[in-house]
Amino acid sequence: MGGAGEDWAGALARVEGRAYWRAVGELLGDPAFALASARERPLLDGDDGGDPASHAAALVPGGLSRRDFLRLMGASLALAGAGGCLEPPRERILPYTRRPQDVTPGGARWYATAFPLDGYGTGLLVESHEGRPTKVEGNPLHPASLGAAGAYEQASVLQLYDPQRARTPRRTRGAAAWAAFVREFAPAPVGGGFAAGGAGLHLLLEPTSSPLTASLLGRLRAAYPRAGVTFYAPLASAAPDDATRLLFGRPAQPQYDFSTAAVVVALDADFLSGMPFHLRYAHDWAARRRPASPGSGMSRLYAAEGAFTPTGAVADHRLRVRPSRIAGVAVALLAELLREPGALPAGAPADLAAAAARARAALDAGGAAQDDAAARGWLSGVAHDLLRTPGRSIVIVGERQPAVVHAIAHALNALLGNVGRTVRYTVPPLAEALEAAGPPVPLPALVERLRAGAVDTLFILEANPVYDAPADLDFRSALGRVRRSVCLGLYENETAAACDWFVPTLHYLERWGDVRAWDGTASVIQPLIRPLYDGRSADDVLAALLGLTGARTYDLLREIWRKRAGPADFEPFWEDALRRGAIAGTEAAPLDLRPAWGALAALLARVAGDRRARAAALTPGPPVGSDGTTGRGEPEDGGEPRAPAAADLELVFVRDASVYDGRFANNAWLQELPDPLTKLTWDNAAVVSPRTAARLGLEAGRLVRLGLRGRELIAPVFVLPGQADGLVALALGYGREGAEAVARGVGLNAYRLRTSDAPYFAAGATLEPLPGRYPLATTQAHWTMAGRPIVLSATLAEYRADPEFTAPHRGPVTALYDPFGYERGDQWTMAIDLTACIGCGACVVACQAENNSPVVGKEGVRKSREMHWLRIDRYFLGSADEPGVAFQPMLCQHCEKAPCEYVCPVNATVHSPDGLNEMVYNRCIGTRFCSNNCPYKVRRFNWLDYNADKAETLEMAMNPDVTVRARGVMEKCTFCVQRIRRAQQAAAVEGRALRPGEVRTACQQACPTQAIWFGSDTAPDEELARRLRDPRRYAVLHELGTRPRVHYLARITNPSDAGEAAAPAPAGGQPLPAGPGSAGPGSAGQPPPSPPPRPGAGQRAGEA
Amino acid sequence: MGIVVLGVPLLLMAWVRSPQIAGQRDPIAQPVAFDHRHHVADDGIDCRYCHDLVDRSPYAGVPPTERCLNCHSQIWSTSPELARVWTSYVTDTPVPWRRVHQLPDFVYFDHAVHVGKGIGCETCHGRVDRMARVYQVAPLTMGWCLDCHRHPERHLRPLAEVTTMGWRPARPQSELGAELARRYEVRSITNCTACHR
Repeated sequence: MGGAGEDWAGALARVEGRAYWRAVGELLGDPAFALASARERPLLDGDDGGDPASHAAALVPGGLSRRDFLRLMGASLALAGAGGCLEPPRERILPYTRRPQDVTPGGARWYATAFPLDGYGTGLLVESHEGRPTKVEGNPLHPASLGAAGAYEQASVLQLYDPQRARTPRRTRGAAAWAAFVREFAPAPVGGGFAAGGAGLHLLLEPTSSPLTASLLGRLRAAYPRAGVTFYAPLASAAPDDATRLLFGRPAQPQYDFSTAAVVVALDADFLSGMPFHLRYAHDWAARRRPASPGSGMSRLYAAEGAFTPTGAVADHRLRVRPSRIAGVAVALLAELLREPGALPAGAPADLAAAAARARAALDAGGAAQDDAAARGWLSGVAHDLLRTPGRSIVIVGERQPAVVHAIAHALNALLGNVGRTVRYTVPPLAEALEAAGPPVPLPALVERLRAGAVDTLFILEANPVYDAPADLDFRSALGRVRRSVCLGLYENETAAACDWFVPTLHYLERWGDVRAWDGTASVIQPLIRPLYDGRSADDVLAALLGLTGARTYDLLREIWRKRAGPADFEPFWEDALRRGAIAGTEAAPLDLRPAWGALAALLARVAGDRRARAAALTPGPPVGSDGTTGRGEPEDGGEPRAPAAADLELVFVRDASVYDGRFANNAWLQELPDPLTKLTWDNAAVVSPRTAARLGLEAGRLVRLGLRGRELIAPVFVLPGQADGLVALALGYGREGAEAVARGVGLNAYRLRTSDAPYFAAGATLEPLPGRYPLATTQAHWTMAGRPIVLSATLAEYRADPEFTAPHRGPVTALYDPFGYERGDQWTMAIDLTACIGCGACVVACQAENNSPVVGKEGVRKSREMHWLRIDRYFLGSADEPGVAFQPMLCQHCEKAPCEYVCPVNATVHSPDGLNEMVYNRCIGTRFCSNNCPYKVRRFNWLDYNADKAETLEMAMNPDVTVRARGVMEKCTFCVQRIRRAQQAAAVEGRALRPGEVRTACQQACPTQAIWFGSDTAPDEELARRLRDPRRYAVLHELGTRPRVHYLARITNPSDAGEAAAPAPAGGQPLPAGPGSAGPGSAGQPPPSPPPRPGAGQRAGEA
Repeated sequence: MGIVVLGVPLLLMAWVRSPQIAGQRDPIAQPVAFDHRHHVADDGIDCRYCHDLVDRSPYAGVPPTERCLNCHSQIWSTSPELARVWTSYVTDTPVPWRRVHQLPDFVYFDHAVHVGKGIGCETCHGRVDRMARVYQVAPLTMGWCLDCHRHPERHLRPLAEVTTMGWRPARPQSELGAELARRYEVRSITNCTACHR
């Protein structure tokens, strides 16, 4: 793709209308891309450049000729016959000696527990086979899950069985027993204890909402009043608490109710997939995005963001703006709303509107001119909609924004009458531990203490600061000044290597504990399995420090909850807590808060003030979950968010959709999960927009030297349409250097550029192209849509004007083959609502976990050999600058007239009477004819024996109900047939019929927005019946006559009608294309829809 | 010539797979000399007393050690034959029984549904009440499975007689089987994913 930079402007200019494209190469007509897509395989290794002829040459198989092959085959066949002479070794049956009462060997049981992440819990139900957890599902009774489970939760099973987990405690190099740990650290007379009052003792741990941990910290503080505690999580920010402290005088946690919000404004907030409680947010948001009929309404989502996220991808109006400009957007929005007559809230200073206007003017003066037209249009649209829906909107801000932006969002919510309706405030669930631990010491202050030699013993509990602390703190060297350092961790990671003592921690599926969800609801974490190794949980360590060595953590936990259960009998309470997985009545206490408008005015005055005051107000706080007052240095030159100069770039550090902050880096399922937008696997990259790439002469894979404030990092470039221009997005969590073999050397360590004064985004980044290239493994450019109607979409207005716009893509179609003779009885079918899909990837991991799908590694992905049965296709829509995005879960369509079946020479793929396209592994001989003939490209071939030599613990992660496939066989989605057959057999044994909705597939279960729905065509549950009647229903590639059993519901967006000219290109709101390369309804022979109705005319009251 | 070249290997391949050569009917020696003849025929213990999972799990279940000692802690408790069982119980280590009926890993057979639809133990496992050491009676080949799956009514018996050894239908099986198939809603299921997943 050499010289691609030159062609950008031209290529972008040519694209207009609803033209779908998958990758930038396609847009440019790159011959290398055309060849790669023609053979539906990516480029071979090392042939990214050069002339196309060399690619063609590379396609000719070398080495073995047909004749040699046949000769070898003959010999192998002869020997294979002899193989039958050997009797297979006789298996042993090892029954229980005493069978536990509630265990039925061969049957699965589900236990409720909770998954903690950065202090917040998600309730889960975990499937267990004879005491062996194999699969995670969401807990429908838990408010953070409502039955869904995200990718991290789904993949946590693999982490439990990770063979590279640390196994024994050690002291310096040698193995040490837990008893030695207790002897050293427990108080006298058991152990050595600490200096009087605990001087020199310090603990560093993640923010936690656990009542048990809080109580242990409280007791520790009582025993050692001079001990220090630091809460640290690299992705948690102090800014949200700072904002509520400023505005309400106390920390408060906003609780959003998206199910009643008609307008949502997300300012740099990936609330659908990247914030705590996101599963619930996505569920509630999607509940208002179901245009079941043309008459039904939809909520409207406005997003302003720099790096592309799933939230931005599904937004109706997305404003591309660098993170530093979000403050300007928020101030402008406030000023805009305050300009309305009568908008001034009671108790507000009279000059609030003027202060907002001055702040807006001050920020606008430094604003980037190129954003202004788009931003103005977006803002007027937002303001218009917000004013139309008082009390039914939400303004939400992402954690990485400075406190000012959070404060403005709270003010906006108050101003719009949302507080008490869509937004409530509660006590933060993290507050209990914070209070118990005493005055928290932020990480920079801790490092100062370490350097000053004021810390004698440092306990680092389940944190990895050597890897993920801001680079300027140089935590590793500071750690060297401590006399004794103790690390508790799942792996021998970077921090473990730098500590004297190391104790393996327990996985959450192995331990007792408790955790609160974002809304405060408490859950008991109950173990699914006895600890695999000699580990201890953080609570165990705290108990040991307190000398509570006689008590088990289980007893301590019950003691805490016995106190909280009240006077009622405790055992039923405890049983109920364990059984339901969420303890009723433990929601955080509500707060009735009024904003201090004066404080807001003062804040705005600071923003409008001189450069230094503005810089201080707009710098994001340090990544410390407790205190925002320290560690906030004066930004160096260039720290002020101002308009970037022509060559000036802004750098933003983003949470990675796969590895989070780096803690999941050793999880191969997550490493191989494609990023929702970039579709990158096994890497992170410096993501830039096409325009920025063109300006700097970059193309995907080019290595660059990224610089920020004297720190440098060499990174490959990835070009992503829709990112803000002049912005480089870098995912955290890669470039690990610990003992984890999967994670080691994957990607690059963005923490090396991250400093405590600019932990989230910083201007003044430099980017210098280097000569080298780096191979990136992306699933993006595979399987191009080639202009065919794959994703159909329309705006709500278009849909109302022509409700039957998908009609040409469903219904009878002429076919040569006779229809298959189905039995009566259940006919399995799936309906996927593309309006609801946010592309988060939870279903992909769920499918992998349920169906024993292997990972193939980066080289495998580069050869397009990934084994996911379910993938999420991401299509760009419209221009490369302001693309809309359509996500489409793509899996075996279970065609009634399946092209794969006609070509299989050995009948290894056949039809079942209940409508499944069956794949029979033991018949398959690996011709791959079926894959060639599959129009949906959903079949996966085992090129290598991916399951050979599996570690013993990883064998335990396998689902016993699904065959583990060997090399040389084809596989694909089975509609979770093992679940269907299990349910059918259970029903048969009980002598009843299957209940509607009884069988749920793994992807359906995981999906937070319920985009995927499964059931029987002949006995559907209510939701499936509704979807099958939905006028948006269509079949992908319907004209082929394959009659898929997977139905898609067309994607509907809800851009505003008013102010459309000024607004940036809304997703799906482009003028209809005329060219043959388009795939919208216009290309399907439909007349263009009539002009959209005016606002209010065709819309039901109460909806945007 | 051609016939010999093709035929001899084919015959050999068929021969090594024949029940006699494949050892299908070889009685399997077990770590404990458990005699089904005595327990089933002499004592009249129902199959489901030990194989209690058979009607609710895919596996019939080899009984836990404690099941043996329900009786044998009282009778024959000091027999040397039972030493291995006591060791298992006291040391909490399972008795390593040798599997007699071994299906390939890609076959998902479910005992509960077969027993629940009126397939007797004897139909597949033979006269266990006459076996000193249990051996495999049926070939357990896919063809054998399908023979029954195509005509399940030929092998159905009343649910009350599922564990009866040597049961004979009182009236012609063609008549009774058809009636039981209707009553138990037995269908002929021959699609692949019925057993392979």
